[in-house]
Amino acid sequence: MGKSLSRLLEVAVTDPEDARRRKLLNILLAGVGAIGLLALLATLVLSMFGAAGQPGEVNPLLIACISLIIGAVVIYVINRFSGWVASTLFLALIILIAVLADQPVQVAEGRSIMNLVIPIIAASVLLRPATSFVAATVCSVVIAFISLFVLHTVPNFPAMFIFFIVALIAWLSARSLENALADLRAINRELDQRVAQRTQELAEALATVHAEASKSKAILEGIADGVIVFDTDGKAIIANPAASNLLGYPTEEIIDRDIQALMETKVRSSDQEVISSLLSGQEMRQPSVKVGWGDKTLSVSLARVTDASGNPIGTVAVFRDFTREAELDRMKSTIISMTSHELRTPVTAILGYADMLKESAVGALTDEQHGVIQRIIFNCQRLSNLISNLLDQAQIEAGTLKLTYTYFTPSSLIEEMVATVGLAAQVKGLELVTAVTADTPPLVYGDAQRVSQVLVNLVSNAIKYTDQGSVLVRIFRPDEGHWGFEVADTGSGIPQEAQDYIFEPFRRADDSLTRKSSGAGLGLSIVKQLVNLMKGEIRLTSTVGSGSTFTVILPLSI
Amino acid sequence: MSNPLAFVIEDDEDLAIIFAGALKAAGLDTRILRSGDMAMAQLAVSTPDVVVLDLHLPNVAGTDILRHIRNDPRLAQARVIVATADPRLADMLQSQADLVLIKPISFSQLRDLAARLTGTTPTNGSA
Repeated sequence: MGKSLSRLLEVAVTDPEDARRRKLLNILLAGVGAIGLLALLATLVLSMFGAAGQPGEVNPLLIACISLIIGAVVIYVINRFSGWVASTLFLALIILIAVLADQPVQVAEGRSIMNLVIPIIAASVLLRPATSFVAATVCSVVIAFISLFVLHTVPNFPAMFIFFIVALIAWLSARSLENALADLRAINRELDQRVAQRTQELAEALATVHAEASKSKAILEGIADGVIVFDTDGKAIIANPAASNLLGYPTEEIIDRDIQALMETKVRSSDQEVISSLLSGQEMRQPSVKVGWGDKTLSVSLARVTDASGNPIGTVAVFRDFTREAELDRMKSTIISMTSHELRTPVTAILGYADMLKESAVGALTDEQHGVIQRIIFNCQRLSNLISNLLDQAQIEAGTLKLTYTYFTPSSLIEEMVATVGLAAQVKGLELVTAVTADTPPLVYGDAQRVSQVLVNLVSNAIKYTDQGSVLVRIFRPDEGHWGFEVADTGSGIPQEAQDYIFEPFRRADDSLTRKSSGAGLGLSIVKQLVNLMKGEIRLTSTVGSGSTFTVILPLSI
Repeated sequence: MSNPLAFVIEDDEDLAIIFAGALKAAGLDTRILRSGDMAMAQLAVSTPDVVVLDLHLPNVAGTDILRHIRNDPRLAQARVIVATADPRLADMLQSQADLVLIKPISFSQLRDLAARLTGTTPTNGSA
């Protein structure tokens, strides 16, 4: 109802000022039309009671009412097409009514004169504000005309003056109203623009966020590594398809579970402990660990996730399928250990036969033959040592090297070492000095054979790289819980840069084509790994030109 | 007077020859037995003074042969030298064997040890 009424009153034009004026005109026309209708009704009712005019004579009031209504409708229709024409006609109509509604004397000089103020004010709001002056002029001309040609008197100048004062006031107020409305419209327009711009920006931002999110999601779903994000309570909140595939659970079974629940039936308890301790660790980025997960071997690495201000918001676990690599590692170790075993048997046989020859078990040898046999034995021993080292390295890498703990005396260690390498030192003219400090315990607990291997290896290295001077072996007790030994030589020393890699497998200090001594470069690597296995540590201090000192510290109990 | 008798129970042909050579050099008569069941059969009919025993044998395990020798009063005088490559087994058998040698075992080492065990004098080809 309200809507259709306002549709009737409004005129669809783009200029808001014009629309406002034409709507106002329509409202006034509606008012005029309603007054006309009421007056028509009243006239008809009165004429029925015979209160007015002679029979057969048309009541002039009736004509006026009908004219008024028709005029209003005509102007309304014109208003649809042209606002200013309609308004001008309306104003003319009002002036006409004001002039005709009373006696000329009353219009020009009496009680009805102020009725002419209405079109002046209406002009300022229906047309442009300044048209109030045009209306005032028209009204002045009208009363001057009546005074001069109808009443034959002097025109009513004070009334004209009042018309112009009213026009001035109407102009001022209509103008300020228009300005206020213009300002309001400008503000509205600016607001609209700002809202539109914000909406646009928001839409773009949302689109960007959506694009980024779907990009991240696509990456997460595409990579071969399993990714699970745990919140601060340890519950999984994100899991990609690879994680589901590697861990053997559907994604929805991973979400909301903690790592403990995921590992329960799939991971050995010792590996579970490793992962749990990784998770509880405080470092941002933990080294990766390899664990058996069902029938797979997975490498697991964890990283803590923090927000911009450094507060923890969770942990990312990355799982990588390591099954094939683990298999290859195992195969490599198996091959090395099998090959070593297979190589060892004939080498042992050759050594045995050479020994038989050397000991003249199958007949006496000439000195020359004896010399050849010595060379054969020496080279067989080298080969045998190399095989032992390869086997040790393979066992250490495969984690199958087991230590056998017994009590033994440190002095027996020295005796065994001297028995093994004493001759070599003697041959090179080196002094092999041994000492056991008084505070060394009489019995130590450890793998006697492996400790001996470490010592022999260090001492034979020292002999190998020392051309003159001495090799000092000292067994001592650094503190209550440890014992150890040091091997100091007066050899060529190890350059600083070589000290960093000398304990790596297959690396040697003189790692070049022109190296002076033989060996695969496994000795020190095995020494270090054995010492690590024994929960001990090995240190090296060395100065080029004046010698090296290797120190091994081992725990007294395990 | 005949020399003491030694059994070399070892499946590897070369090692068996070398061990036998060492025992012979130590002044013993030697017999090579290259499988567990052959060793058991010979032990039933002979009483060796020295047994060099490999632990990894076909058919009957070396540890079973060692137990058999230790439980048979007829073989009470036999000195058993266990030869093994496994240090852990060596430790375990220390109490049951007269000597445990960890492979590789050299000719001269076995010759001298066998001579000491039986009180014979090692012969040296060049001597």
